[in-house]
Amino acid sequence: MATQLPPGLQLEKLDERIMTLNVGPQHPGSGHMRLIIKVDGDYIVSCDPDPGYVHRGEEKMAEYRNYIQNIPHLERPVIHDSCNILYPYCLGVEELLGLEVPERAQYLRVIASELNRCVYIQYWLAIYGIFLGHSTMFMWPAGDRELLIDLLEKITGARVTHAYFVPGGIRNDVPANFEDMCLKRVNYFEKRIKEYAAIFYDNPILISRTRGAGVLSREDAIRLGTTGSTLRASGVDFDLRKKEPYDAYGELDVHSDVLKDGDSYARSKIPWLDMFESCNIIRQALQKMPKSGSVRVKLKPNPKGGNDEVYKRVESGRGSLGCYIVSRSKPEPYRVKLSVGSFRNLICMPYLLKGEKLGNMPAVYWSLNYWPVEADR
Amino acid sequence: MGTATGIIKALNSGVKHLAVKRFTLRYPEQKLKFVGDGYQFDPTTGVGIAGYKGRHMLFHDKCTGCQLCAIACEGVAEAIGMVKVQEEWKHNKKAIMPQIDYGKCVFCGLCVDACPFYALYMTNDYELSSFTKEALIYTPAQLQVKPYVQQDAEIIFDARGATHG
Repeated sequence: MATQLPPGLQLEKLDERIMTLNVGPQHPGSGHMRLIIKVDGDYIVSCDPDPGYVHRGEEKMAEYRNYIQNIPHLERPVIHDSCNILYPYCLGVEELLGLEVPERAQYLRVIASELNRCVYIQYWLAIYGIFLGHSTMFMWPAGDRELLIDLLEKITGARVTHAYFVPGGIRNDVPANFEDMCLKRVNYFEKRIKEYAAIFYDNPILISRTRGAGVLSREDAIRLGTTGSTLRASGVDFDLRKKEPYDAYGELDVHSDVLKDGDSYARSKIPWLDMFESCNIIRQALQKMPKSGSVRVKLKPNPKGGNDEVYKRVESGRGSLGCYIVSRSKPEPYRVKLSVGSFRNLICMPYLLKGEKLGNMPAVYWSLNYWPVEADR
Repeated sequence: MGTATGIIKALNSGVKHLAVKRFTLRYPEQKLKFVGDGYQFDPTTGVGIAGYKGRHMLFHDKCTGCQLCAIACEGVAEAIGMVKVQEEWKHNKKAIMPQIDYGKCVFCGLCVDACPFYALYMTNDYELSSFTKEALIYTPAQLQVKPYVQQDAEIIFDARGATHG
């Protein structure tokens, strides 16, 4: 018997009408992944996503490094959302080592992660715009994103890979006139993102392109285990900042938007609405934050956890992001497992693309808020 | 909203931007301003001081050759190696100091956090490109030099939008 070849490489005898298309892995419209699409004329018959081209073995690498040395490489999967991807890891290690995070550090973490969420969403929106051929929507978010990147650079010292969160707090306190600087930029940023409505979200050309493309029903969204903006666009009100508040989120008023349509348009609108909510959260946090105080608990060199395991999850730019850490009384974790939103949203791609036109593929694909590098870890 | 009004509104929104100032930073002519002299760390309190994480700065009169920075870097980038220096210091009997390979460094700053003697800081210098791999390796003597960094542009807000000055 011939050996079984991986999908996409098999010599299949297909119907004469059906043609197989390999979208990716080099194609700019697919990210670092491949979509094996079978088309009948202009209509997609089946779609088989093939991720794994940017697998880096982050989880295995984490087993050979101590709890502090894991920080710079664990943020690599999503470098422009690096605060959020480190958040569950830091919360988990704090529980393992029994650390109490100072109140000021909790609020600064919330501010940094909300700023980072906006930076991520702007980048995502820029690519969504250029996927649909809307080059203005590429330029505007890419430029406005720079405001917050510059602010994050002043706080953390790096434009994207911040390495800012550590178990026990944050690496450094904010610069002197941070509150004014942050408030000014966030207010201006909010004014700018309001302008996206006329040119993009209320634009009849965009609406006719994306409305009704790739509809995911409420039941399917729950059954397939989607998360984040994909889930909330299908009418499920699920936001971990609200449901399981971590750090200072419990003391802040978080309101997340829900849309019922479940199509590409709704999925692309939810992150935009999230940015307004992030601005609100930042303003609340700036008001309630203690004006001075410690920001980091002093750690022993090479801290060890007990024989314990812990699972923590947070709401990242792409949905719920979990981190499962097993400790075996050693300076290194025994196992670190990341449960990422991107991979969970990838699963519904074959369901959504079936029966769609090939031209709608980019509109559906990128609306899923999928980040290939994070899905592969 | 009708299709025609929607398209006119979208066009109008774009046309309004003819009056908005350009946000782009004209990089080699203008360079961004930073807060402070770079990322530093205070080992007594265990908290860092906000600043840009650029090229390192090594204080030869404080470095004891304890290798803690190299150990911290081992699991991250392996960019720091300890090398012999010709100088003679009472506090550095082994006469070894860190040498940093910027082809490998990820600028996380964990080496600065590891130094208990206030000997290793980071500076605002970010223009480190070179034509050869060897030139990216900075010896202790090169790390001693305080860089000059041009800083003239900052984001300003006015009625016509944000600009880089």
